[in-house]
Amino acid sequence: MLILIKYIAKLLKALSSEDSPWQIAGGFVLGMIIGLTPVFSLHNLIIVVLILIIKVNIGMAILSFLVFSGFAYIADPAFHNFGTWMLTNPDLQSTWTSMYESEWWAMTRFYNTVVIGSFVSSLLLSIPVFPAVLVFVNQYRTHIHAKVQKWKIVKAFKGTKVYSIYQTYTRVRG
Amino acid sequence: MRIKGIIFLVIIAGLGFAATYFITDEFIEEKIEYQASVINEAKVEIDGFEFDLFSLKVGWDRLQVANPKNTMTNTFETGRTEFNVDFWPLLWNKVIVENVQMTGFELETERETDGYFEMPVDEEGEEEPGIFAEVTKQVGGEISKNAQMKFTAVKDDINVDSLMAMVDLQSIDKMDSLKNGLTDNYSKWDSTINNNTIISDVNKMRTTLQALNVNEMKDPKKAIEALKDIQGMVKKADSLKKSVVNLKENFTSDLTASRNSLESIPSWVREDIDRASGIAKLPEINAQSIGTALFGSNLLGDFNRYMGYLGTAREYGARLKGPEDEEEEIERFAGKNYEFSDKYDWPAFWVKKIELSGVTKNDIDLRGLVTDVSSDQNKTGKPLLIEMGGADANNTSLNINAEINYLEEKPRESVKVTYAGFPLKNSRISPSELIPYELNSGTGELSLGVDVIGKRFDSEIKYLASNISFDFNSAGKPKNQIESLIRTAISSADDINATALVDNTTGPLRVRVRSNIDDMFLNTLKSTISREVENAKRKIRNEVESRVNAKKREVEQLVKQKEAQLRAEYDKFEKKVNDQLQIVEEKKKELEKKKKELEDSIKNKAVDTIRDKIGF
Repeated sequence: MLILIKYIAKLLKALSSEDSPWQIAGGFVLGMIIGLTPVFSLHNLIIVVLILIIKVNIGMAILSFLVFSGFAYIADPAFHNFGTWMLTNPDLQSTWTSMYESEWWAMTRFYNTVVIGSFVSSLLLSIPVFPAVLVFVNQYRTHIHAKVQKWKIVKAFKGTKVYSIYQTYTRVRG
Repeated sequence: MRIKGIIFLVIIAGLGFAATYFITDEFIEEKIEYQASVINEAKVEIDGFEFDLFSLKVGWDRLQVANPKNTMTNTFETGRTEFNVDFWPLLWNKVIVENVQMTGFELETERETDGYFEMPVDEEGEEEPGIFAEVTKQVGGEISKNAQMKFTAVKDDINVDSLMAMVDLQSIDKMDSLKNGLTDNYSKWDSTINNNTIISDVNKMRTTLQALNVNEMKDPKKAIEALKDIQGMVKKADSLKKSVVNLKENFTSDLTASRNSLESIPSWVREDIDRASGIAKLPEINAQSIGTALFGSNLLGDFNRYMGYLGTAREYGARLKGPEDEEEEIERFAGKNYEFSDKYDWPAFWVKKIELSGVTKNDIDLRGLVTDVSSDQNKTGKPLLIEMGGADANNTSLNINAEINYLEEKPRESVKVTYAGFPLKNSRISPSELIPYELNSGTGELSLGVDVIGKRFDSEIKYLASNISFDFNSAGKPKNQIESLIRTAISSADDINATALVDNTTGPLRVRVRSNIDDMFLNTLKSTISREVENAKRKIRNEVESRVNAKKREVEQLVKQKEAQLRAEYDKFEKKVNDQLQIVEEKKKELEKKKKELEDSIKNKAVDTIRDKIGF
């Protein structure tokens, strides 16, 4: 329960933070890619480095990662089928072979059905998700944030001991 | 750009670097020693271990691999060893080593401490003896058998009573056991013949039939019904006949088998005679036994030593194999790996080349190459090859060539070892009492060739002693005529060669040893001790036979008597059954005749009635 509250608070905090909408959308999309694809993959290491280096919202990336990890558990068979289709596609055989022959590319394990299937799916998903999150953040900040703050449930929540503990905790952590 | 993020990454990288720098070689050494000891089932100890993560260079000053069967010795040890592990295969969990430089390689060295290693409970497993272990065991038996052979101390006035006290005459026990088995079998047949239901069934049938008075039958319908009953009984009678025939077949074949079992008795007696001759140390005077007695223990001893090395090599080879032959399972969320080339199809473990150098126990400076040691030869496409050789200061050389090939349908292992030019001065050419003389000069050559294809085993070990001269002076004057004849015979021999053949190419394992001086010894021994040996053997044979003959006659008498008794009982039984069945048969014919009569009478009556009606 505490974890759920923590992440709802984090989401609301991120949405109303000083970070620009593209930073939030960037964090969301990068977290989504990590969540949808097998965690221990080379491309995820690069994405983690990107998250740390470029100014995307880390909280949103973590949140997005957790949400999409759960989704990936259900979607893996579909990724496997998609990956199988790609890896057995006759038109792509020369590409896969040359990638497989290169040790660096081979390290990405793109020859695995779930890795390639989930990675390409998450990239394709990023195309609509990134602008959608941008729009959502803008809309939230312009129209929704003030209203949300007035919701009784939010006020009540802010008055709880749990919230004050969380506030203290975040202050201590910086 | 996020400065804090970059700093964080730099810190992480720095910590990683520091970890690899500060993680001591001892830590890795300890881990490797433990895992290797588990595989070896005895301690594996590494001294001066070095590991450089950045260059992937591995080295040690000394490696000791304890022998699990004798933990106070090492199976082998090495001195300074260095090699580099390939980087890319490690990312695929494969260990590929291009070139190992190994110095100070030695086999069977003494240990300063006990190499016992307490195996984790779940790692202990039962080992099946391999082909080398089986061959070694059988050849070992042959060696100990030959060690008992004495040629010169043969006496024909042996005390058979004291000899018999030492011999356990197994044929008597075996005959007792046979007699008990036969008695049980005869009792079984006695009971089968006298207590079976066939006689009572036939009696019942006959009583039923006799109750039918055919002459009083006037009604055709009743006659037909009775006939139906009779036909049922006839079927039953046929079935009883079949039972009697089957019983007779079983009875006859069982009696024949019982009689044939007596044929084993002479071979049991012969085994007892051989055993008694062995205890009396009476030799077989033929070329094969002389060759075996002269050179068997040396050649087969050397043979077994090399077989031991091969067995060890095979055992370690088997332990290197991981579970990689298991088929890859496609787990639901692990996906499936597509392989677009065989580039990463490495075995789990592959050392491409080992440049090996060391010193043998005989101070031969041995150098050579071992290539393609791998956990899966099908993936490397190359067999394991060993080419080593070297010589000492006196030009005594040792060459070892081996190929262990698991690429073909049947695994093939071939080994050739040549140890040549070793001096024979002050050594004996044979441990046999027939040649108790040391040599004044001579050089020796020992060569071994072993080919194992699947379970087919073929090997040859040759021994050649060249330019030899015997030191008869130290032995003094000949003590008897045999010695004198042997001295004369072998003094003319410059070279002596002996060959031991161990193979199973035509059936069970055969061990044969021949040499170029067998015939010479054969002639000498035939002219001297042959008569004594034959006399002694005759005495033993007579004594054994006299002791076992009473039992033999007892068993033969039992078979003769019981067989006659059972045959008489069976004949009586068979006659009784056949007599009864004859009555059944006659009754059947009688009824059939009556039935026909009645049917004819009905038919005639019907015809007469119709004629009366139509006035014809």
